[in-house]
Amino acid sequence: MTSDAAFGLPAILPGGESFYFPGGRVGCLLIHGFTGAPKEMIWLGEHLAAQSHTILGLRLFAHATQPQDLFRARWQDWVADVETGFHILHAVCDQIVVMGLSMGGMLSLIAGAQLPVAGVVAMSTPYRLRQEWFARLRPLMPAASLVMPYFGKGRPDWRDAAAASDHLEYPDYPLRAVAQLFDLLAEMRRCLPSVRVPVLLVNSRLDETVTPDQAEAIASRLAGRVERLMVDDSGHIVTRDAARERVFQAAAAFARRVTAA
Amino acid sequence: MSLVLPGAEPFMHRGGPTGCLLIHGFTATPQEMRGLGEHLASQGHTALGIRLAGHGTRPADLARSRWGDWLASVDDGYRILRAACDRVVLLGLSLGGALALLASTRYPAAGVVAMSTPLLPTGGPIRFGLRPLSLVYPFVLKRPAHWRDPNAARERVAYPSYPTRALVEVSRVLQVLRASLGSIDVPVLLIHSREDTLVPPKNSQAIFDGLRSADADKQLVLIDHSTHVITCDAARGQVFDAAALFVRRQSEVPA
Repeated sequence: MTSDAAFGLPAILPGGESFYFPGGRVGCLLIHGFTGAPKEMIWLGEHLAAQSHTILGLRLFAHATQPQDLFRARWQDWVADVETGFHILHAVCDQIVVMGLSMGGMLSLIAGAQLPVAGVVAMSTPYRLRQEWFARLRPLMPAASLVMPYFGKGRPDWRDAAAASDHLEYPDYPLRAVAQLFDLLAEMRRCLPSVRVPVLLVNSRLDETVTPDQAEAIASRLAGRVERLMVDDSGHIVTRDAARERVFQAAAAFARRVTAA
Repeated sequence: MSLVLPGAEPFMHRGGPTGCLLIHGFTATPQEMRGLGEHLASQGHTALGIRLAGHGTRPADLARSRWGDWLASVDDGYRILRAACDRVVLLGLSLGGALALLASTRYPAAGVVAMSTPLLPTGGPIRFGLRPLSLVYPFVLKRPAHWRDPNAARERVAYPSYPTRALVEVSRVLQVLRASLGSIDVPVLLIHSREDTLVPPKNSQAIFDGLRSADADKQLVLIDHSTHVITCDAARGQVFDAAALFVRRQSEVPA
């Protein structure tokens, strides 16, 4: 946690706090990705709030503070955070649509299997890691983390330079937490056949972190109706990159459809 | 399947322009603030009962928590509530009271209700050895509590033990609170039971004495017929009324 200048207290990074927009009886729970922050979901939140929905953008445990906090995180913390957000939103709304980016998409799909939600929007969501050999190293990761605590993120794939320059995330991946990401991925795959509510999968053809073919693997295992949106002009962070307006419109239209009486 | 314990779910009530942020105590859950939240909501206020990081799931999750995680949970709650109303009153029980007082130094709060709140160091010299002790003795089982209202005791949702490592974090919160007390100048209501043996009422007296708030802006209410968890035990009605009166008074101040 960075220091709060005045009092020396730990604090959330500016722009990293949870956000809320009061609105109607349809609630949208927005979940950011691994090492990301609520900020990557706030434009989507503003778009949905303009449709008079109630919006809650969660901050996941150990995110938007300091990277070393992630060493202490377990995937169950993040699932519990989503449950927490669901209960808050459900207390003021009748129907909930869960929307998540990348790891947030994984968490949204798990929520779709375990919580009474009306629909799920999973954006840039992986089914398995692209470098699958890496997953086999999972048992070694906690120990390896002692000698190599962080490893760098790949080449950025942004199309909108202005949005990229203003992006809030940790600069590296803590290896200890990557192990949790693998475990969460396994949990998501276990949950997919129990997702009976409608799901919208959003991907970009240019996404180098999660290639669009991952969505096919997810779609084929879901039990309910699946819709797809494929955009072109965007990297992995489809909620902030150049094609974001198309993503917002598709998410809003989906939310309207699945919550129509 | 749910990871959050049944009954430990956070809660929210839509309402008027004054928001009440309800913060539970150490090893406890939003369950102990639910009744107070409902009472404040029935007075027309907006209310949000948060779940602190590491709480309401498994004791091992709390052993991994640091005090900054709890403060960040309060920050998130404040952000959410502030987006739904014009002013926020922070209400906390025990550790939640300490966090509420600390939070009032971080962002504008209309007032603080701190209940059964600790301030003074406890545990004698052992508190300096808690960290190494936590490696061999990770959990301290709670002693049986003697509630005045046995029904309320039965409904309680909390961990059965204290994670030793997290006790270190509690003492850090209190250390920081002792250092920041002199800079807290918002209206504060302190409520404590004379029968509280877990956190004796002299703690609230010490908080009262240390606050910078004007004399007219701080108040210490001592009650009877209750043990530590005064939001649930037999005298809860008296606690609800005192808190509601305080919140109403703060909500009449122009935001």
